[in-house]
Amino acid sequence: MSRTLRPVVLLCALPAAFFVAFFLAPMAVVLIASLTTPGGQPTFAHYLRILADSYHWDVLWVTFRIGALTTLICVLIGYPLAWYLVRTVRFRPWRRFCVILLVVPLFTSNIVRSFGWMVLLGRNGLVNDGLIGLGLIERPMRFLGTELGILIGLVYILLPFIVLAVGNALAKVDPALEHASADLGATPAGTFRTIIFPLSLPGLMAGAVMVFMLAVSAYVTPALLSGGRITVFSMLIFQQYSSVFDFNYGGALSITMLVLTLALVAIAGRLSEPGRA
Amino acid sequence: MVALILVRIVSFAALAYLALPLVVLVGASLTTTSFLAFPPQGLTLAWYGKMLGDPSYVSAFTTSTLLAVAATVVAMLLAVPAAIAIARYRFAGRRLLSETLMSPLILPHVVLGAALLQYGSAIGLVRSFPALLVGHVVIIMPFVLRAVLPQLTDEQKSLEDASADLGARPLTTFFLVTLPQIRSGLVSGAIFAFIASWINVELSIFNTTAELTTIPVKLFNYVQYTIDPTIAAVSGLTIIVAAIVIVLLDLTIGLDVLSERRR
Repeated sequence: MSRTLRPVVLLCALPAAFFVAFFLAPMAVVLIASLTTPGGQPTFAHYLRILADSYHWDVLWVTFRIGALTTLICVLIGYPLAWYLVRTVRFRPWRRFCVILLVVPLFTSNIVRSFGWMVLLGRNGLVNDGLIGLGLIERPMRFLGTELGILIGLVYILLPFIVLAVGNALAKVDPALEHASADLGATPAGTFRTIIFPLSLPGLMAGAVMVFMLAVSAYVTPALLSGGRITVFSMLIFQQYSSVFDFNYGGALSITMLVLTLALVAIAGRLSEPGRA
Repeated sequence: MVALILVRIVSFAALAYLALPLVVLVGASLTTTSFLAFPPQGLTLAWYGKMLGDPSYVSAFTTSTLLAVAATVVAMLLAVPAAIAIARYRFAGRRLLSETLMSPLILPHVVLGAALLQYGSAIGLVRSFPALLVGHVVIIMPFVLRAVLPQLTDEQKSLEDASADLGARPLTTFFLVTLPQIRSGLVSGAIFAFIASWINVELSIFNTTAELTTIPVKLFNYVQYTIDPTIAAVSGLTIIVAAIVIVLLDLTIGLDVLSERRR
């Protein structure tokens, strides 16, 4: 054994074994199950069933539409908020308070956060009361059980990821670049467009990809805010495992979701590579 | 100028949006009514008392906490050696190892939970504390790695080499030289790992039972059928604990991640 190999094996044997036993092996079991009959014969039937069923296409479409809209809204709200926290706030205690406000939800379970929105978005919830009080609507709107309700909950849960990612990128932009740009006669808007925005783009893309992944695979928030009226893909998977007990078909659904999500993320990653945008 | 005003408006609205559910839940948990009311009507801690008097909540809190502590300890024991190997040695499969260890971060937890259930039923590891534990360790290891890896810098490597040259054995070097330097990474990694385990639903839900359940899973099952101020009290407690942990974090290691570079 070479001089490097021995310590590496000593250090990595246990973690590698653990991951093989409780991560790679389970994933392999799902993959194999998705390609076999309950009797163990190889088959593509489960995937063909997914492809043939238009219901699955509808669910996929809803899931990815919710994912894309969540990401878009998070970017539109998150970028200005990150800008505000990094560039505008000068009063330190207030900024600290804002950062804490941003992080507290991350430390609270999705259940609690979604439950908060269940209370707020109910027929007689604060949101409806407020909208009626402002004279914007006459009768209570239905939020629970609608895509809008799910979007409000998911954006809430995922917004901190974008703000932190963009905020980190903005905080790293060297102030000298801005001074140079201004000295050379660029307007603030011009400096933003040509210097700051491109430099914050990697952070923005990383945050957006993270948000999209989490939104597409979210289970708890859609389950609670859909009131059973809207089905997203993770609910299909959960049903197969917890009530239908068709592990082969559930496996095929799992692999389908995994492959689609990773493919879209890979495409987004490619598009955001420097020099391609 | 217009842009700046717009940034302010969006930011204040977003901050209010972030605070709203937390304020409403904590507020509603204090109501004297038997239904959820916000603003609360009257102020009482009775719902908190009811929660603490209910053995099923207490046992779910206990299970969650024990699980998160155990998972964090195991994840640290596995992730720190792996991080040292990845940071210090160049070996075949090094990238593969680090990418595999990080991949639970980008894997839908429902998929992983389903996989562990199916695999667990094949090897007889289901619906038990160990079954919950192995899943939690897998999903929280990336948090430890992500916090520790950047701290294992090359400058430190020369200190380790010096220690070795002076005759210290590898373990002595680890405890006296490496460990003190990566301490803050270990602390923040452990905190994020603990929290990720403590709030997990998607993975735990496959392996919990009526007797063995974690607090988020218990809440999830409850909230779908009943909504009463006890639930708000349980939620309120988790929010208050989270807020205390974060303020402590801010005071100790500093959370001001968004501050601009010193000019």
